[in-house]
Amino acid sequence: MSVQTELLPAKRTVNPLWYKFRKNPLTLVGLVVLLFIILLAIFVPLISPYEPTKIHVVERFSPPSAKHLFGTDEVGRDIFTRILYGARLSLGMGVAVVLSAGVIGTAIGAVSGYFGGRIDQIIMRLMDIVLAFPSLVLAMAVAATLGPNLFNALLAIAIIKVPVYVRLARAETLALRERLYVKAAYTFGIKPWRIITRHIIPNAVTPVIIQVTLDIGDAILMVATLGFLGLGAQPPTPEWGAMISVGWKYLLDYWWYPTFPGLALFLASCGFNLIGDGIRDILDPKANR
Amino acid sequence: MKRIITKRLSMLLFVLLGVTLLTFFLSHVIPGDPARMMVGQRASEETLQEVRHQLGLDQPVWVQYFTYLKGLLVGDFGTSIRTQQPVSHDLLTFFPATIELALLAFVIAIIIGIPLGILSAVKKDTGWDHAGRIFSIAGVSTPVFWSGLVGILIFYKFLDWLPSSGRLDLAIAPPARITGLYLVDSLFTGNWAAFKNSLWHLLLPAFTLAFAQLAIVTRQVRSSMLEVLGQDYIRTALANGINGPVLLFRYALRNALIPTITVVGLSFGSLLGGAVVTETIFSWPGMGKYVVDSIAYLDFPAIMGFTFVISIGYVLINLLVDIAYYMLDPQIKE
Repeated sequence: MSVQTELLPAKRTVNPLWYKFRKNPLTLVGLVVLLFIILLAIFVPLISPYEPTKIHVVERFSPPSAKHLFGTDEVGRDIFTRILYGARLSLGMGVAVVLSAGVIGTAIGAVSGYFGGRIDQIIMRLMDIVLAFPSLVLAMAVAATLGPNLFNALLAIAIIKVPVYVRLARAETLALRERLYVKAAYTFGIKPWRIITRHIIPNAVTPVIIQVTLDIGDAILMVATLGFLGLGAQPPTPEWGAMISVGWKYLLDYWWYPTFPGLALFLASCGFNLIGDGIRDILDPKANR
Repeated sequence: MKRIITKRLSMLLFVLLGVTLLTFFLSHVIPGDPARMMVGQRASEETLQEVRHQLGLDQPVWVQYFTYLKGLLVGDFGTSIRTQQPVSHDLLTFFPATIELALLAFVIAIIIGIPLGILSAVKKDTGWDHAGRIFSIAGVSTPVFWSGLVGILIFYKFLDWLPSSGRLDLAIAPPARITGLYLVDSLFTGNWAAFKNSLWHLLLPAFTLAFAQLAIVTRQVRSSMLEVLGQDYIRTALANGINGPVLLFRYALRNALIPTITVVGLSFGSLLGGAVVTETIFSWPGMGKYVVDSIAYLDFPAIMGFTFVISIGYVLINLLVDIAYYMLDPQIKE
């Protein structure tokens, strides 16, 4: 024993997670891009002298310049400023919607998988039905029927995202339920809700985290797509999709108007996708890179 | 095989019931009065009641629902509030344009995606592979409406190579309607001018629509190719002196394509969804543009009809995928 200990190399100084993260340069790129956007969005009142919704008609449609980095829109609002205020909305909404879907879905999936039986069957069939839709079309239908505003758009996206988490958490729960420590807890007479919250969910959470990080980019795009179709945030809210839905009509004459909000959207979504990809590689040893 | 098909078809029934329930009840619980939209703000209360009665809006909700279901069974989706035409008629009119666009995008995604995926797998961890990875992440991160806008800017405004909207130039008459797909119809009737012109109009929207799916296909082919290439039978084949294209295509690709089919099938479903956005950007007269125009009018019969048709298509495609799976992989039993 002592011989073996001596043969071991000196105490590792690099955290293995950090090591894997570092070895994946694209993930770092994603992280940097995202941090950059987040910092700008936080400090935008200090960076920009303009208000996101203040109208200044004299300067309408100014092309990008030192004064207006990304130009101005049809009523003279600074597009750069609006994009950064929009970042607060878009990033916040994307994260919030996926997190809520993740939490709700995991709870339903764990309960459903733990108890099994008829309720489990009904829940799973319901989820199958939701999954059988093309997601964007379903989100559109729900948002359109509920009425076009940001909250309904978020609700629609949450509805289509939940089933994935229910399935993931249920599959994990079914496996965990057979583990010795869960069975032991059961024989000790521990109440089901406590087994679920203390023993099952903490151990079922890894695939959920992977899915959450992979989903955020997609959710951001979806919020914006619904906004673009007029089903999400309404103008003059500086939401990226809503900005593009007004701006694309001016594309041929004032190209900067819809182009820059779209670029921001692309960068944010790309950042999350790169990070999600990296986190999957790190947490999921089975993932085939 | 039979069991899979029966299972899927019964699933289809549930899905469609789910669709109608969801859209119908949501649209009847919320405020917003279709009858009011139809008659305008200045109509008298009497006219309003009259129209309500005509639309059956004065009936209890569940009666309305069963009337709607009964209509669906005979292909009656109700009357569009915006166009004042039967929704089924409208959808039939716009359906071919959407299918033509989605099919071409689908073909593009496969023709480019599969070779790219193979290339990435074979040249794993080289510049090719990294470029492929960046490309596919960019693909899934790009909003369809933005790639459409950038496409229009580059290929229409700056280069002036491709048209930016519609299916044909105004000066060119559409070919006689056989299938409703301009490319096919103009080929059948030997109308070369229309063929060339409609292909020209199709290119930009189709590539825009294909971009995201292309990325997904590439990624799937790459990872299943890598998995197959690591298997024993490939090593055995290599040891027996089989290599190059024969090994790659006859031995590896055939097996790697099996999981790809699921992804490809699903991606056709997303193409139908993505078409909504693409058609709006390119003023493409398909079902997607139709439904987006309908949303502004709270035209629920139109929205529900569209959702219904797309859902049928989606579930049927999934059924085809399952059948293809079964036929391609003799190992799958039930």
